[in-house]
This record gives sequence, structure tokens and C-alpha cells, in this order.
Amino acid sequence: MSQSTVVVSDLVKVFFDEARGEVRAVDGIGFECHPGEIFGLLGANGAGKTTTLRMLATILQPTSGRASLMGHEVGTEPEDVRRNLGFYSASTALYPRLSARETLEFFARINGYPEDRLAARVAAVVERFGIGEYVQARVEKLSQGMKQKVSIARTVVHDPPVLVFDEPTVGLDVLNAIEMQKVIGEFRDEGKTIIFSTHIMSEAEKLCDRIAIIHRGRIHACGTLASLREATGCHYLEDIFVHYVRRAEAA
Amino acid sequence: MNARWPVIRTLFSYELRQVLRDRRTLFMSIVLPLLFMPIMLFGSRKVEQVRERKLEETPFTVAVTGSQAEAARGLLEATRARVARQQPRPDQLRFALVPKDDPLQALNTGEVDLVIEAVTAAEARETAEKARKAKEPTEPESPERTEKELAADLIEDGAPVIVLVGREDQERSRRAGERLLDALRETRREARGELLARHGFPVTMDRVATVAESSLASAGQVAGLTLGRTLTLLLLLFILSGGSVVATDTLAGEKERGTLETLLTSAAGRGEIVAAKFLLILSVAIAITVIQAANLLLYVGFKIIPTSAGFAAAVTGPIAALVLLLFLPVAALFSGVLLLVSGRAKTYKEAQMLFFPVFLLGMVPAVAPFLPGLRLRSAIVAMPVANIAVAVKEVLTGTFDWPMLALAFLVTSGAAAWVLVLAARTLSTERLITASDADAIEHQGGAPLLGRQVLRWFAVVWALILVLSTQGVEGADLRLQVLLNLVVFFGGATLLMLRRYHLDARQALALRAPHPAAWVATVLGAPAALLSGIGLFMAANHIFPVPPKVLEAFGQALMPDTIPFWQMVLFLCVMPGIFEELAFRGVLLHGLTRRHHPVLVALIVGAVFGLFHVSLFRLVPTAYLGVVLAAVTMLTGSIFPAMVWHALNNLLGLGAAELNISLAELPWTYYATAGLVLALCFYILWRTRRPYPGLRTGPRPGPGSGE
Repeated sequence: MSQSTVVVSDLVKVFFDEARGEVRAVDGIGFECHPGEIFGLLGANGAGKTTTLRMLATILQPTSGRASLMGHEVGTEPEDVRRNLGFYSASTALYPRLSARETLEFFARINGYPEDRLAARVAAVVERFGIGEYVQARVEKLSQGMKQKVSIARTVVHDPPVLVFDEPTVGLDVLNAIEMQKVIGEFRDEGKTIIFSTHIMSEAEKLCDRIAIIHRGRIHACGTLASLREATGCHYLEDIFVHYVRRAEAA
Repeated sequence: MNARWPVIRTLFSYELRQVLRDRRTLFMSIVLPLLFMPIMLFGSRKVEQVRERKLEETPFTVAVTGSQAEAARGLLEATRARVARQQPRPDQLRFALVPKDDPLQALNTGEVDLVIEAVTAAEARETAEKARKAKEPTEPESPERTEKELAADLIEDGAPVIVLVGREDQERSRRAGERLLDALRETRREARGELLARHGFPVTMDRVATVAESSLASAGQVAGLTLGRTLTLLLLLFILSGGSVVATDTLAGEKERGTLETLLTSAAGRGEIVAAKFLLILSVAIAITVIQAANLLLYVGFKIIPTSAGFAAAVTGPIAALVLLLFLPVAALFSGVLLLVSGRAKTYKEAQMLFFPVFLLGMVPAVAPFLPGLRLRSAIVAMPVANIAVAVKEVLTGTFDWPMLALAFLVTSGAAAWVLVLAARTLSTERLITASDADAIEHQGGAPLLGRQVLRWFAVVWALILVLSTQGVEGADLRLQVLLNLVVFFGGATLLMLRRYHLDARQALALRAPHPAAWVATVLGAPAALLSGIGLFMAANHIFPVPPKVLEAFGQALMPDTIPFWQMVLFLCVMPGIFEELAFRGVLLHGLTRRHHPVLVALIVGAVFGLFHVSLFRLVPTAYLGVVLAAVTMLTGSIFPAMVWHALNNLLGLGAAELNISLAELPWTYYATAGLVLALCFYILWRTRRPYPGLRTGPRPGPGSGE
């Protein structure tokens, strides 16, 4: 196995909720990811997936524990972490009054992509995602599918080694969701480390090389689909998931 | 991590590009005011002219009443003749005498503009006497007597007393009163001259003495004073209205759209994001201010806006450059404030709502140049914005000194830098980045939440007391006011806070025994602090002039001497010692100690305590006492010494007032000795200190992500 690009250990995030009091949204999570791998975080809504990924992206600060990305600690080297990261989620929007090209140039620049290679890189990304036809159009004028393509291009324009996709197909129609899955697969094939969170079993089953089942802030199982099947005796991921959730509830 | 200029430049240029593409914003903030101003100016001038012409063209209607009505009519006719003798002018006084059965009723219904009451001197005196007797016997006699009463006392028997009765709330009536009064006086003067001449005394006023006025100030300086007083207010309006347009969109709008989260996952540092957004707001605010100011100057050039003669002399090139330089930190400070407010709002709408109080509060220091006699070489130099406002006035009147200008510039620049640091912190505050994340302190409650909200509580109580002191109890017993303030407001707010935050009263109010030595320090310290405070401010007077009233306020008693001494001791010394201490050195201190360094806590507690005394001149001495008492509480770990200290301080002030001793006029050795005694007291308190619970001694824990 190649060297880990993402290392998370004993990560904890505590929130306070007026009704519930102290809530451990993430409660001692640990995992490692490698280049050329899609690592899936599978869990129901509120399981702690987004909070974990936000801590990895340095948007939130961990209450305790450690996380590093390409050898950079999230707590002490946040900008280096983010330079090596492409973060995509349903809540990361684009600037409506910038054109698609300006959006890509802007994010390449602020993520520190070398200026002398920037134009060539933007052209390559435009070509790859087929956004040439509307590259000069302002984002506010684009359709949902077009915006999605520009958004993915924005995520990878600075060529980061690690990509995080937080529920990327939420709100997309079937064709766009399939397109998204195809692109993520291609990134994996290019050797990027991908962390992919979802609550859709079929997506995880189809895409992920390894899956971590997360429930109430804890990882209850982690492995390849085959190893999870073997451990539980269930064939479908849905059954495997329910198996671990019930076991966690019973504990 | 150090900020990287290329990143800031990239962020700034793309942000600016987006602002320039926002047609609605551009139209609302630039085009609309540019179009609106000429329409507004032309419109208002036109309306004013029409109104003036109408007022001048229509004769005022006057009804005459009283036993001396005939004499009054004679005087009025003489006035009409005199006015007619003069060259006819468009604004010539015109009036018509209208007979009315009930002239005062006619005045009230608007049938006449003015009523002239003409009576004999004896009648006038009788009426005045009746009016005096009709007053309540307990009501103190008003020191200001009416013009009617004075006239009745002074006039000779035989001459009529003519009183012009009008309605000041009606423009026509007011104008008629003013003009007719002047005209009647002039007629009277002429009549006196004729009378004197007839009796062989042809004396003109100029033969007695010629009185004229002259000013050493140039026309430029006079115009500079007018301009200097209003310029900061005007420019601040432009800065705030211009800056708020982009500020709302730049953080609050980004949160709502979801673009902030995209930006926060990029390699740009939070400090860099804040710096770029700050520069954007500043640039837009300055650009809009310059455009609006140029627009204004254009109208001045075309004489659509009238200016005084010395306007051009007041605003020379170098002066304009210096004024612009002085305004830079003000623009920076308010750009930072707008960014901070936008950062603290979770939505666009919330940001717009929060901007309203910022606008109002922002205008307060800008009115400083209107305060009479206020110079920059005073404590005002330490107050951001107000210092620049006063500095600009002095620059425009040519009476400034460079060191004070530099100091004002630095103080306001420092405030701007501090606000920027706060704005950068908001991007590190998780609850402000994403609306979905709960905030730890908010839900934890208790003392940490009190720390965040305690100043809001005091702001509300302050506003209530202010309202009450300005209108509520005028004429009521001051004892009632003291009771209301101390028991209801301070006592009530203290109890409410204890309940709301589920605080242990013993801990929150520091109800514990101090070291026995603290009592010695208290008894010695109270008079020492009072005298040394006066000495300190007298010494400061040599650098920054301190108004004499501030020094007098140290030993001022506030109750009328009709109240028995024991009651004064109770209401002025004992009760404030208990209730004010429970509020200020109790809950306020307790709330602040978790968030700030003890030195800052003492200063905040002092400032808040000063502000609560709702008097400009008492602010300084009470703030000084507040700082001392906060320090005493934190050193002793107990509120009791502060209570006794406070009561003793007030008792000494009361005693000095009772014995007519001016504490501000003692030999300097008294103040020096008091200073030494106070130092000794604090040495005792320090050596015998008991820890105040929860007191922070280290640096503030960083709320951010380590950037």
C-alpha cells in the first residue's frame, strides 16, 4: 500500500445544542486514505460526515484529535492543507457575477497555482469538462448542469492531490449524478486521493474502494466492500449498513 | 502566517470586478444619488422661494384689543406710514387690521396672524400680580419672568403697554410677530427722537456713541468654521452609505449564497480574505465619497448651493489634501466596522438591520465640532472619529497644531486596526461562518454566556435610566429617582442576570470575606483615592485642559439641601455603596473577568460606571472611581471592601459640600500625600490579595483556526 495522504486519528468535535446539551458530532474518528483510492464515508444525515470533512478542510476546528493532509496538520498549517485540497459540496457555491473562465482563474490563483502555467491549466480544465461553449458566460446565466461542471472544474483547477466530495449528487438529476460519479472515478484513476461522503448506498457501492460506516459520530466498520460482506454475511451494502447501525444502537 | 500581498490583490481585484458588474448596486449607490441631488436641491429651493414669495405678498392680519387699543392702532398706522415712506421693496412689511370680537380665539383658529394687546401700565401690573397669585403656593417662583411682567414693572404710567400675542408653532404668525415687533420698535425710536427734538434735545444715537462690531477672523476662517463643523458629518454619511452597499454583500451576502464556504476552503488565509474585503469596502466608500463630494462641489460652483464668501479661501489645495488625509483613518475605521457587522450577520437581511444602529452611533462622535470651545488639545484627542472631526474644524479655521493632528490620526488609525482584528476573528468564529453550527458558549449558558451578553444588559439599563432622567421624573422627588435607579434598575437587573444565567450569587457577586488588612486599606484608600484623583486630573490639566467642572464634580453633592442630612447619607452613600456595587463590581465584573485581562476589565467597568452617571462632567471622576473599585474587588476577591470604599467616597464628597470645602482648591501637598497613601493601600491589597474566581491572567485563548 502507498503512503497515506490523509491521516485522521481520534478526531472529536463537540457542539452544544440547547435541547440536547453537549453533542459529540464527531466522537473519536480515525482513518487513513491513499493515492488512487476513493474512501467512502457512508452514514445517515447527521452521522458526522460533513463535520469530519469540514474539519479536514479547516473550516471547523477539532475539539481534540489530529488530522493531516499531505503531511500538513489541519490545526497548525491550515493554508498548506487547503492548497493540497479540492473541496466540493452542495453548499460550496460559485460567484454569480464571474464568468466560468474568471472563476477558474480566480481559484487557481488564490490556491497558489503558478502564474506562468495558469492559462494552459485553465484551458486544459475547460477542455476536459467540456465547458468551452459557455466559458465566457457569467455563472448566474448558466443552467444547473453547467454550474455543476464549472464547480467540479473549480475544485480541481489547482490540481490538488486530495479531493473531498461531500454528498456531491444531492439535488442533481439522474444524468448529472451519473456524470458526477464518472468524473470522480476518473480522478481516482489519475491517482488522486478521494474522500467521498454519501448516504446513498448504491453510490458508495459503485464508487468506493473502501467504505467507512459512520453512525453518531463514530466509525463502526471500515474496509472494502468484500471485507464488509465477509464480516457481516450480508451481500448488499444496505444490509451491511443496517447491520452495523443496529449493532451500534444495541451497544 | 503572514499575509501574502498577491493573494490579497487577487481577491480584491475579483471582488471589485463583481461589484462593478452589479448594476443594481451601482445604480443605487452612485447613479441615484447623483440624479437625486439636483432634483432634490432644485425642488426644495423652488418650494422655499414660492413659500417665501407667498408669505411676503400676503399681508399679515392683525387684531387689536385692550383698553389702549386706540393708542396701539395709532402706533400701527404710524408704522405703516413710516414703512410706506421708505423705498418700496418686495419684502416690505404689509399688514391689515382686522376687527374681531374675540381676538385670541381668532388667533387660535387662524383667522388672524397676530393679536396686539394694548393696556395701561396699571392694568398690566394687575394682570401680572393676579397671574403670580394664581400659581400654586408650593410651586417655586420661576426665576425667569415673562416679558409682560417685566414691562409692567418698568413702564411709566400713561404710556400704553403693547404686547404682541402670536403662535410660535405657525410660520406666518411667528414671522408676523418678529417683523411687526422690529417695525414697532423702530417707530418708537423715531417717535422718541422727535419728542426729544421738540423739547430741545436733538440727540441722535451716534452722538452718544457709535457701536459697531468687527472680527479678526478672515472670511475664510469664518467659512472654515461652518464647513469644519459639518464636513465630518456629511462625509461620514457618504462613507457609511457607500460602504454599506458592498459591506452587506461582501460577507453576509456571501454566507447566504454559500460562496464564503467555497472561499474558506481555498488556500487564501482568513486574514487575507478580511484584508481584501476591507480594501474593497474602503475603496468603494472612498470612491463614492469622492464622487458625491465632487457632485456637491459642482453645485457649489454653479451656485445652486449657496456658500459663504470665504469658502474658496477656506478650502485651498493643501488644506483640502490635509483634510482628505485626516479622513482616511475615519474611512478605514468605518469600513472595518461595516465589515465586522457584515461578518457577524448570518444573512443579508440581518446585516441590513444591524447597519441602522451603526449609522446612528457613527454619527454621534461626528457632532463633536458643534460642542462650544472644544479644542483638539484636550481629552477629545483620545476619542476616535470625534478627534478627527475636531481636527478638521481646526484645520479649516487655520488654528491647528501638528502634534495633536498626528496624535488624532494615530488614535483613529489604531481604532481602525483593532476593528480589523475583530473582523478577522469573526471569520474564525464557527457559529458565524455557518448558520447550521451551534455555538458552544451560546448553549452552554452560565457565566461564559453572561460574559458575552453582560454589556448588552447594561446598555439596556443605561438606556432606561437615560430616558427616565431626561423626562420621567422632572419635578419629582429625587429620593424617588435614586430609589428607582438603585433598587429597581440596578437591583432588578442584578437579580435578573443571576436568574437568567443560573449564577451562584455568592460567587457571581463575590460575597466573601476579604483579608482583614483590606479593611485598613479601604478606610485609608477611600479619601486618598478621592484626593489623588483630583490631583491627577489637575496634573493632566497642564497637558490636556480639563474643564473645571470635572474637578468640581469630584466632590459634588447632587441632592438639594432641603433633604435631611441622614437621608442624604442613606440615599447618596449607603444605597449606592450596596446596589451600584452589586451591579458594577458584582455581575458586570464577574461577566467580564472570563473574557478580558484584569486591566482591561477594570477599564471597562470604570467606563461603564462613568457612562451611567449621565453627566458629561461627572463621567471622568466616576469612571476613575469605577476603575479603582474594580481593582479593589479583583485584588480582595470580595465585593465588601468596594461597597465600603464607595460609600466612604460619597460621604466625603457630601461632607465637603456640606462644609463648603472645595476639594479642588487644596494645597498640592494634600494631593501628593493622598497619592502616596493610595499607593500604600494598593500595596497592602496586593500583598494580602485573595484570588478573584475565574480571573484571567494569561493571554486570551484563540478562537480561530490558528491562522
